[in-house]
Amino acid sequence: MGRLRAPLFITRHVLIALVVGGVGGVLFMAFLIEFDHYTSSNAFCTTCHSMTYADETYRQTVHYDSASGVRASCGDCHVSEGVFAATWDHAVGSKDLFKQLFGPDYDDPVINALHLPEAAFAARKWFKARDSATCMRCHTLEAIQGKRADTAAIHREETDGKSCIDCHYNLVHRKVPDESTFKREAWNRMVEEEFGLEPGTAERLMSAH
Amino acid sequence: MCAIPVSTRLRFVILCALSLSIAVPAVADKVKLDPSNWGHEAGSACVSCHTKASSGLAQQWQDSAHAAAGVNCMDCHRAERAEVDAIEHEGQVIATIVSPKDCGRCHTKEFEEQQGSVHAEAYSIIEDRLPALAHNVGGTAMQAASCDQCHGSRVKVRGDGTLDPATWPNSGIGRINPDGSKGSCSSCHGRHRFSKAQAREPEACVRCHSGPDSPDKEIFEASKHGMIYVAHRDEMNLDAAEWVAGRDYTAAPTCVTCHMGAAGKLPSTHDVGLRNVWSLNTPVSKRQLLVIFEDGRKMELSSDQPAPRRGTEMARADGTIGIVKAVATPERRRQAMSLVCVECHGKGFTEGFMRQFDAVVELYNTKFGEPARTIMAGLYERGLLTPTAFDEPIEFTYWELWHDEGARGRHGASMMSPNHAWWEGMYLVGRNFYARFLPEARAAAGEHADELVEAVLRANGQHAWLDQPDQMSSILGFAPQEAE
Repeated sequence: MGRLRAPLFITRHVLIALVVGGVGGVLFMAFLIEFDHYTSSNAFCTTCHSMTYADETYRQTVHYDSASGVRASCGDCHVSEGVFAATWDHAVGSKDLFKQLFGPDYDDPVINALHLPEAAFAARKWFKARDSATCMRCHTLEAIQGKRADTAAIHREETDGKSCIDCHYNLVHRKVPDESTFKREAWNRMVEEEFGLEPGTAERLMSAH
Repeated sequence: MCAIPVSTRLRFVILCALSLSIAVPAVADKVKLDPSNWGHEAGSACVSCHTKASSGLAQQWQDSAHAAAGVNCMDCHRAERAEVDAIEHEGQVIATIVSPKDCGRCHTKEFEEQQGSVHAEAYSIIEDRLPALAHNVGGTAMQAASCDQCHGSRVKVRGDGTLDPATWPNSGIGRINPDGSKGSCSSCHGRHRFSKAQAREPEACVRCHSGPDSPDKEIFEASKHGMIYVAHRDEMNLDAAEWVAGRDYTAAPTCVTCHMGAAGKLPSTHDVGLRNVWSLNTPVSKRQLLVIFEDGRKMELSSDQPAPRRGTEMARADGTIGIVKAVATPERRRQAMSLVCVECHGKGFTEGFMRQFDAVVELYNTKFGEPARTIMAGLYERGLLTPTAFDEPIEFTYWELWHDEGARGRHGASMMSPNHAWWEGMYLVGRNFYARFLPEARAAAGEHADELVEAVLRANGQHAWLDQPDQMSSILGFAPQEAE
């Protein structure tokens, strides 16, 4: 019967390093999870005033207010699942913070509305690149029944090669046309009309930055 | 050109030449394009999904001649990215609105005829007058729900690509489409079924040609034409590919027969006003010249002014200048309409009827329309009425005199409904004129009543019976002898 011995290279220092590294790693992972969780919350996102405009329209939709009480938060749709992917998304997303601090005054509702289309196009590309993965956190294609007679059949038979976002855009936030048919001038005139601004103000505001 | 006396034969040749330049050949115009122009490859995917997503419209299309010919959703709805109302839909760039210009990609003749017609111009004609009635007397909500449903809307595409619900949905016949074309083929043909037979039915016109100002459906139904149509509807051959009166059907005429249809050698036309001599929905009716411009557009002109010569430059209502290509005189237009009549009636019969009709219009004009207009003009000129329309009771009285009762009487006479000509029309014109309009005009004129009202009546001469207050008649139940 021999004694169980640690290998010789497990010195006291190594043992301490392993314990500290292990605990540190666990703590770091826990931190990331908590960090991603917090930074995915509606409360965090809307700490920037510019995000409250997106919040207003979101609150009108079933993604905020569903009969069953299921509520999709900002991060549920806009941040990938899994701690590494989520961390990556947040790291990339920090450019929004940078632009918020050093870019145009997105807190201004006019500036916000004028820049909205590009934000929408970018978001759609993000969904498309991930094959609408965040949609599928909650929605399962085979389980979609819908309220209208043929919703189930349409999702069963008409969705080959399509991703959720291909059809379901303009679902939660202010309506923006698809990039292929978007007309900047018409958008600018609409924003001017909405805020009672002189024609041409939009172009001036856009070029100011 | 009208001053030269021409033989009847030559006149007929000129008429035919003119008709050919502005209308299609006698048979319904077949699409001459090669079928490779339609059958868009994405169409089957549309159908597959829409058979589930909106099965009604998909089924209507399945039942249509379009489907039978292989024309699919994309052939009509496809759009270019740059178009104002283009939207992305399931990977395709489409437009919700299929405008006459879109239909004209295949139905060129019909599109060209329809552009510039009173139907296509139905909104443009009233756009600047509309607010005084629809917005002031009613409210802006009334425009989309009522006026625009018949006249059409000026469709507004918002910056986010959606169609402004104040202007869409709309299938008014003078709709101004995002692509600039005017009109709505679906107004008569429906949307996805796109039926010829449906448009040939009088019911196709009833949505708008009914009501107090133009009860044409009711007038038709009350006429001998309407009576025989109902009795022999199953002999109307409404589904026929070609529908020439006197050849493909003889049972009865419908609205389309006289106003648009082919008859004998007269070609069909999608310009519904082409054969109309008179303007009947105006304060005073005018015999009209139809000016046809080089660019295909058209304009109605009162024949009070001399007919412009070919090549003349003329300013149009929208400010553009057009070069005159041809002018259809009221006489020519009457000849065209009469060519329909003579498929079933004798020439003398036709001329006799036209005389009876013209006499009613002239009576309305000279006895009521013109004097009422003169009296109103005098009241406005002296500042006895405010310029704002409908803020004084007499303005409603005057409006109804010509726009409702007057139009009804004139339409009644034009399409042979005795009740509409008299009881629903000219009787009410007379009652309105004598019992409402004149008393209100005298009250508004005050001390100027003799100059502004009585002098107009005296000069007119047709109201002299008012100066004979002792002519008792038994019509009111008091025989003349009882008066003693």
